[in-house]
Amino acid sequence: MLRLAALALLALTIALRAVFALDETQYGVVTQFGRPVRTLTAAGLHAKWPWQSLLTFEKRLLIYNPRPSEFLTRDKKNIVVDSYVCWRIADPNRFLQTTGDLPGAEMRLHDTVWAATAAALGNADLASLVSTRAEAVQVEELMRQVAEQCRARAAEQYGIEVVDVRIKRVTLPTQNRESVFARMRAERERIAKQYRAEGEAEAMKIRAEADREKARVLSEAYKEAERIRGDGDAESTRIYAAAYSRDPKFYKLVRTLEAYKKVIDPNTTAILSSDSELLRLLTQGRAK
Amino acid sequence: MNFDFFGGRSSSDHPHPHDHGDGGHHHGHDHSHEPGLRAPWRSGRAASFLREHFRLIALLLYFASGLYLVAPEQQAVVTRFGRVVANGVGPGLHYHWPWPVEGIVKLKALETKRLTLGVEMPDQVLGRGGGARVQFLTGDQNIIAVVVAVQYGIKDAGAYLFRAEDATRLIETAVASAFAHTIAVEPVDNLLTTGKAAAQNATLARARALLDGYGSGVHLSAVSIENVAPPEEVADAFREVASARADRDRIINEAHGYASDALAKAAGEAGKLVSDAGGYREQRINEAQGEAARFDKLLTASGQARDLTGQRLYLEAMEEILPRMKKVVIDSAGGRGLVDLGIFQPGLSPRPTPSSPK
Repeated sequence: MLRLAALALLALTIALRAVFALDETQYGVVTQFGRPVRTLTAAGLHAKWPWQSLLTFEKRLLIYNPRPSEFLTRDKKNIVVDSYVCWRIADPNRFLQTTGDLPGAEMRLHDTVWAATAAALGNADLASLVSTRAEAVQVEELMRQVAEQCRARAAEQYGIEVVDVRIKRVTLPTQNRESVFARMRAERERIAKQYRAEGEAEAMKIRAEADREKARVLSEAYKEAERIRGDGDAESTRIYAAAYSRDPKFYKLVRTLEAYKKVIDPNTTAILSSDSELLRLLTQGRAK
Repeated sequence: MNFDFFGGRSSSDHPHPHDHGDGGHHHGHDHSHEPGLRAPWRSGRAASFLREHFRLIALLLYFASGLYLVAPEQQAVVTRFGRVVANGVGPGLHYHWPWPVEGIVKLKALETKRLTLGVEMPDQVLGRGGGARVQFLTGDQNIIAVVVAVQYGIKDAGAYLFRAEDATRLIETAVASAFAHTIAVEPVDNLLTTGKAAAQNATLARARALLDGYGSGVHLSAVSIENVAPPEEVADAFREVASARADRDRIINEAHGYASDALAKAAGEAGKLVSDAGGYREQRINEAQGEAARFDKLLTASGQARDLTGQRLYLEAMEEILPRMKKVVIDSAGGRGLVDLGIFQPGLSPRPTPSSPK
């Protein structure tokens, strides 16, 4: 009974060492006394001899973010570039033999990527990294070249697939910042002046236009008003003419007398001849 | 991972996928109670039933542990010995083979998650501590600090879990890179004023393409530029520009105010001119009509005796006029040359007429 139990226990131990599940996130390398004998890339249940051991490696995409470092462009400008490498283990067997673990891989990636980036940026002007002319910016193309170079080397040497090398940020080194700030400040001042000048010019234009419009409106109104007055004058003249033409002489008399009433005031001194129409009777009696 | 039948929620929504949701399986039986052991408290029919069918119950409980619930906002991924056999299992009650055969991972797939980028990690090369804003170089070579927020959801749970070692970091990195490309062609004034939305859209499109290229299983729903600020060293110059812009707008507004005021006044004045002219015309015409009518009546009434009427009107007028003025009557025979001009001196009342023969 005891022997049976011991045997069962032994069998179980052996079975547990022989059968293993490989996760979707892992590669497996089966080694026999330290020598890799089998590489497993598919997840699921696998078996090995109990004396063999299993090493697992990350199968998923990894991000390596090198420290931002300073590069010199072709036009001798210092820039700080923050980049990242998206990579994965492509050949776990080779990876195991050349680099072994993730920190080791990152160290090698750093060297490879740094060299390729420095070479690529050394062949590019600053204007091809940052520029308001979108067609001048060739970062994408540059980094594609960097990635390709790294890809070939990393795959061959380390069993690493470099998926992507990209720039996360471009900035200027601390010692250049002061001069950039001075330039930015000057530019801001120019823009501020320009805004104010624009304001003044625009305001002047608006005022001038308003004045012109005002003059136009007033002169047109004057024109219209004069026309209307003319209408009034013409119409009244027509009415007068129509009425008075019935007896012009009589009209002249009546109108003259009306005018006297208006023209003569208390300060007027009239020198009347005694033979005037009014005084004739007074001076000459009822003669004739 | 805890396995909670009734809550239906896994306690770890971002599990490290090495964990296989199999830790909390319920064996549902207790080996400390051997069937042969007699205890005084284990009497009664239920206890004896349990004792007799112990193996059956244990087996049932074991298989029942394969039941699991996916909550409405969740998706589950089922793995058999580490291999994905069901991806994106939707909400509801499901079954999987119990441990150690299958495991599940549940994710809050529909939940919108949020990341903020642009707050500096400690950085020796640039000589900055953590917490500062990340500064970028814009297309016109200005230095500016930008904080970007990203919203994303999971569109493929399997890919999210098994494609990238650190999905959050992948998203962060992809968005940062996309934003770097965007800002590299953008002038600083665009970012500060009108070009924000365009920059956001460009970043979103580029980051989506990147993440899809990586097969990340992530869907970016929005990228928003939360904060754009010039470095402190030049902040006052930027503020000056903003105030100059405000000044420009104010000056222009004032001019518009002047213009609308002037035009309104001009319109009023013009209206008055025209309306005055209209009044004048009315007046002239009415006066003419009135006087014409009066003359007409007079003419009609005087009829044949028109001369006589004329005389009468003359005399009436004289009656009215002469009393209110100074008069000097000169005899026509006396000659007009002899008028004493003293009579025109103010204050003198007219002397009696020098000659009034009768």
